[in-house]
Amino acid sequence: MSNKPTLGIFGFTGCAGCQLALLNCEDQLIDLFEAADIKVFYEAMSNNDDGAEVDIALVEGSINTDKQKEELFHIRKKAKTLVAFGSCASYGCVQAMAYGDGKWEERFRKVYGDVEFAVGKAFEAQPIHKFVKVDATIPGCSPATHQMLTAITKLLNGNLPVYTNAPVCLECKLHENECLLNKGILCLGPLTQGGCTAPCISHNTPCVGCWGIIEEANHSAEIELLIENGYKIEDIIRKFRIFGGSKISEQYTKLWRL
Amino acid sequence: MRVVKFEKKNTEKLFDVLSRFGEVWSPMEKGESYSYQKIEDSNNFIFHEEVTRTILPEKKLLLPQKFPTLKFNSKKYEKPNEEIPTKILFGIHNCGISALNILDEFYTTDFVDADYQQRRNKLIIVGVSCIADEHCFCDKTNTNIVEKGYDIFFADLCNYYLVWIGTSKGDDIIRMGEDMGIFDANIPGDVTNKYAEYRKRNRESYCNDIDLEGSTDLMELSHDAEFWQELGDICLSCGQCTMVCPTCTCYNVIDEIDLNKDTGQRIRYWDSCLFKDFSLTAGDHNFRAARSERLKLWYTHKLKAFIGKFGAPSCVGCGRCIVTCPVDINIKTVAEKLKKKRAL
Ligand code: SF4
Ligand code: SF4
Ligand code: SF4
Ligand code: SF4
Ligand code: SF4
Repeated sequence: MSNKPTLGIFGFTGCAGCQLALLNCEDQLIDLFEAADIKVFYEAMSNNDDGAEVDIALVEGSINTDKQKEELFHIRKKAKTLVAFGSCASYGCVQAMAYGDGKWEERFRKVYGDVEFAVGKAFEAQPIHKFVKVDATIPGCSPATHQMLTAITKLLNGNLPVYTNAPVCLECKLHENECLLNKGILCLGPLTQGGCTAPCISHNTPCVGCWGIIEEANHSAEIELLIENGYKIEDIIRKFRIFGGSKISEQYTKLWRL
Repeated sequence: MRVVKFEKKNTEKLFDVLSRFGEVWSPMEKGESYSYQKIEDSNNFIFHEEVTRTILPEKKLLLPQKFPTLKFNSKKYEKPNEEIPTKILFGIHNCGISALNILDEFYTTDFVDADYQQRRNKLIIVGVSCIADEHCFCDKTNTNIVEKGYDIFFADLCNYYLVWIGTSKGDDIIRMGEDMGIFDANIPGDVTNKYAEYRKRNRESYCNDIDLEGSTDLMELSHDAEFWQELGDICLSCGQCTMVCPTCTCYNVIDEIDLNKDTGQRIRYWDSCLFKDFSLTAGDHNFRAARSERLKLWYTHKLKAFIGKFGAPSCVGCGRCIVTCPVDINIKTVAEKLKKKRAL
């Protein structure tokens, strides 16, 4: 019997890119396999022990059906620590782009018609914290190597990961980039939780917010600035919504009535 | 203090001389701006008379944006034993030298910051004179002419440079240059006129009409002014002002443990007092939870608090906050609000 902590890596609705990002940490995989007894890894293993109790469950993906909901309850019951792994699990991500607009049923019928799914009743993409207690989060679409492995290491040592509440701008500036907002470009860096190391801006592409909205985000100030720079309010809101997910309607119900 | 003469045609040889003492770092173009970079090729070794307002200031050479400050394992901890190279900071202007003077006081008075000190000991400062652009206001902060803080300083007297030697290290460099025939101890007879013209050119180059007069007292008197709230409403909390300000010193440390090992490191990185978590304390108390409070702190630090301890404000007039803040909260607009010159 090994006394290593046990780990399960599960996946629901999403692109499976978070699991792939972990698999892609090739230089550190041997260490990960040595440090943890991996019971489940949907994307990497065929002999998954779904019923196993695990010390840590990393749950990727949003919840879209009754069946997934049941499976999530099951994982929660079997896991000591449950982690929302990536943006889909944390706040819904791109499939929750129109979260809370009240038109989900309509869109669903338009695409699928009146069908019955074998996977149970479908509903609007929900982050996992809507159904179960979540102990920790690993943000990102998909998570960044360093942040993800640092967080997993903490978890394997019996601690919870901690992040500082700084926006993408911090790491953007640490990389000595010129600010795109000053060039009239719509960048969501100030509204977005940091941790990604700001790769987009370092490649001259604005941040679209894939780490999720930061608690301290000042949306109205950014809207005002962007309108001054010639952007239309509809376009700004659409941009906010791409990765806004459930967080945006939870934090900003007032804003969307603009 | 010894002075010598230098002619621009010897620039390439100067690069040669400096390179013998260590890595040469100097402003290089980056996008529409500049960045201090290591110069590998003499073609990039340029006397910039124009303002080279690098995106990040000089402090990045002394306390890098992010670096391990401790290494540890389950039994002990120690300073990482990396070799700190000697760096020559060439082309730094008066505001930058003044900022380093301020950092020297901050990091070595009362308590010596070892991370700073070990890099500072290995930094050679070679200043170059400059002509202000529309954002510079070092004339208003009395940092436009420096008397200390450089090893060597090149003042452009048009036909030649007057070279001031500030330290014995600077003298070593000059002596090697003299051996190679690029410095001349014979100063032309017209030097006093030329120097007076240089000071006049410097004085007349300023066109930033920022009005800082009395701002220290006005900060005190404006503690409860309404405009702080208004600035707090538009601040994006992006923290850029603190990153670009040459005299900002906030940092944070985090411990990172290596996967599958009993080793780890303590990472030190630039933080910002404009971020909410910066003033978060145990028990979830935050004594500066409001953006307006954080902005007030920042401007108190720049315009007032530093004077009490070190006798001068900690703003050196570099203009970085003016060109950087996306919503135009900067030393100039705050000074205007202090004087109620700007409609709210
Ligand atoms: S470019 Fe974007 S992320 Fe970078 S500082 Fe500006 S707003 Fe922030
Ligand atoms: S810069 Fe923005 S869009 Fe790019 S990875 Fe980071 S959070 Fe995502
Ligand atoms: S602020 Fe003063 S010293 Fe600095 S670049 Fe401008 S003119 Fe030169
Ligand atoms: S407050 Fe602004 S002008 Fe003054 S030193 Fe800092 S960045 Fe430069
Ligand atoms: S004052 Fe400007 S630069 Fe500083 S945090 Fe606020 S928005 Fe960013």
